[in-house]
Amino acid sequence: MYLQIDELIRFVEANFDIIFKIAIFPGIAFIFGFLIFAVWYERKFLARLMVRMGPVHAGKVMGWLQLIADAIKLITKEFIVPRFTLRSLFFLLPILLPVIPAAMVVLIPFGPGFILYNAMGNGLILFLALSTIYPVLNMLTGWVSNNKFTIIGAFRTIYLDVAAEIPLILSIIGVVIMAGTYDLVGIVEAQSNMWFIIPQILGFIVFFIGYLGMTERVPMDFPVAEVELVFGIKTEYSGPLYLLLMEADYVNWLAWSLLMVVLYLGGYNGPNILGNPVYSGIFWTLFKLLIVLTIVLIIKIGYARLRVDQAVRMGWKYLIPLAVINLVLTILIKYILNIYQ
Amino acid sequence: MGIARVEEVEELKDGLMRVSIGPQHPISGQGRILVVTDGETVYDIEIDIGYSHRGIEKILENRIYIHGIVPLERMVMLDTSPITMCYVRALEELYGVEAPPRAQYIRTIILEMNRIISHTYALGLFAESAAWNPAIFLWTTADREPFLDLLEMLTGARWSYSFIVPGGVRADLPQGFKEAAFEAIKFFRERLDVYVDSWIDNYLFEVRTRNVGVIPRDKAIEWGAAGPSLRASGVEYDTRKHDPYAAYEELDFKIITDTSGDSYARGGVRVKEMYVSLDIIEQALENIPDGPIKRSLPQRAPPGEAYARVETARGEIGMYVVSDGKDKPYRVKISPASFRNIFLIEMLPKIEELRFADVPVIFYSLDPWFLDADR
Repeated sequence: MYLQIDELIRFVEANFDIIFKIAIFPGIAFIFGFLIFAVWYERKFLARLMVRMGPVHAGKVMGWLQLIADAIKLITKEFIVPRFTLRSLFFLLPILLPVIPAAMVVLIPFGPGFILYNAMGNGLILFLALSTIYPVLNMLTGWVSNNKFTIIGAFRTIYLDVAAEIPLILSIIGVVIMAGTYDLVGIVEAQSNMWFIIPQILGFIVFFIGYLGMTERVPMDFPVAEVELVFGIKTEYSGPLYLLLMEADYVNWLAWSLLMVVLYLGGYNGPNILGNPVYSGIFWTLFKLLIVLTIVLIIKIGYARLRVDQAVRMGWKYLIPLAVINLVLTILIKYILNIYQ
Repeated sequence: MGIARVEEVEELKDGLMRVSIGPQHPISGQGRILVVTDGETVYDIEIDIGYSHRGIEKILENRIYIHGIVPLERMVMLDTSPITMCYVRALEELYGVEAPPRAQYIRTIILEMNRIISHTYALGLFAESAAWNPAIFLWTTADREPFLDLLEMLTGARWSYSFIVPGGVRADLPQGFKEAAFEAIKFFRERLDVYVDSWIDNYLFEVRTRNVGVIPRDKAIEWGAAGPSLRASGVEYDTRKHDPYAAYEELDFKIITDTSGDSYARGGVRVKEMYVSLDIIEQALENIPDGPIKRSLPQRAPPGEAYARVETARGEIGMYVVSDGKDKPYRVKISPASFRNIFLIEMLPKIEELRFADVPVIFYSLDPWFLDADR
């Protein structure tokens, strides 16, 4: 039996668009490439803010080879499984975890008409539905490790979910009312005149804090609080399995940052600077993504970490009322606009 | 499991666990903190010291007086000169001599520079304990560099100076030291303002440290808190003022205190003390008298005993030296400040409700140094 090359080539030519999207952008290569870029960017950018150089020795230009060296180190390390763990889940969960945020990335429109799967106009619903699975798997990861630090980290993941996710979803409803659709492409198109960050500024504040919680970033990164929990739910993982968990973390960050770009920062809307609307749409999406990542990193340098009780109190005492106020205001504005139209 | 039980551990109630922070943990240092917790609320804290006991007191008995200074410095590498100052002060009492005035002023300059170096390190770690955010730690580490350079210029070493000796100091101020010191002070004062702006006044940092680990005034005295931990609880006590040594009697400075006694106050007291230290260095440099810097002493101390105390960055250290007329001390007893400060955290769960995330914050607000406590 041999591979029929002609048929394969014909198949690829016929479906080049979809294969490119799955394999290269915004599919597998982009998601793994993002891990490499984000780790490098985080290292170098934080190093600048901390008055140090960051990695410089491996690779002459900006220490780029250091990432490859780290990846080789992590991949070739031994699998260490602690005693009394659920071995099957211990191996399965790190493989499962990056898939959820990767599926969330797939729903994001990068340019006009450039979207891998639009979920029949329900992209936002599917995105939020997938995002609810992630903290549960995270919690399980901590629980199967059979370690005191990971157990505390697992509890904290759930506390964080309670504190951050409900106000976050309440704030997103404001955007849905403004745009009148659950379709992420429709939401981006509705922002062609004005980004939703301006009319939805209250909702954006709530969304941003909830976003920091959902991505476990400072000041809401207590599930991985090194000073008390060593490394939270990931304490017992090392080598390739840890690499997968790290990948899950970064892809989750990517998915939520892209959602912020799409919901509030106008998505792919922007001047057509590359001649082709699709290419410049992709450029603007990635450019806005970079700005969001940079802001998160600056917050990481400048702020302390909240305690669990403080985060939950903030979520329920301030963020939810703020989100509800935003919702009421949005409905009122929408109603008044409808009267005068 | 084939592993021998080293210690008998009492059974815990249902739902509680004993979490061992250290000796291999990002924050623990050379010791261990045992925390009984249900995951968030802390019910009991136990400090386990002794991982780095080196028997410095015994080592001193086997060395002639002046050789004892070098092992003594290993107690706190960051804060070496106050410790040697304490030993030298006890020896000078034993010999019945006093160092010349110029040596006293040079001692004051080194002591205060050491205090600044130690406080910057303590504050960096304190910032890290509220978030794993090494920015402040790295900034403080970079900004103490001018003082390290100055000390290298003066003593020849960046860390362990062995500069203060019985009868005076080893060397005089080098050329250009004064100008360089004034420049460093000006630079550091600006940097301190930056820290206060960006970090001490930071809302989230205040949220994390305010009303956390409150030590009331009476408890601070009862439990024997020392140094900034004592002064943050409203007790106006500073050995530099109450039992002056070096040139502190002739210099004008005030004791920094705070009334709230929480972790934030302890950090704040350290920051304000650095401003005071800068003032002291400036005054000492301006008013330094001319004259000899050292008087020679015989190798054998007269028989007798002496007790001396000195304010280190972590609080008051006490040393008791007994001589039987030989060239080596008969016995030296050291009472370090960290030994008293570290154990304050054990008492706190008994009087207030602590969260698990508060443990590192309180621990580093006390400026712990296990090597100091272990001796």
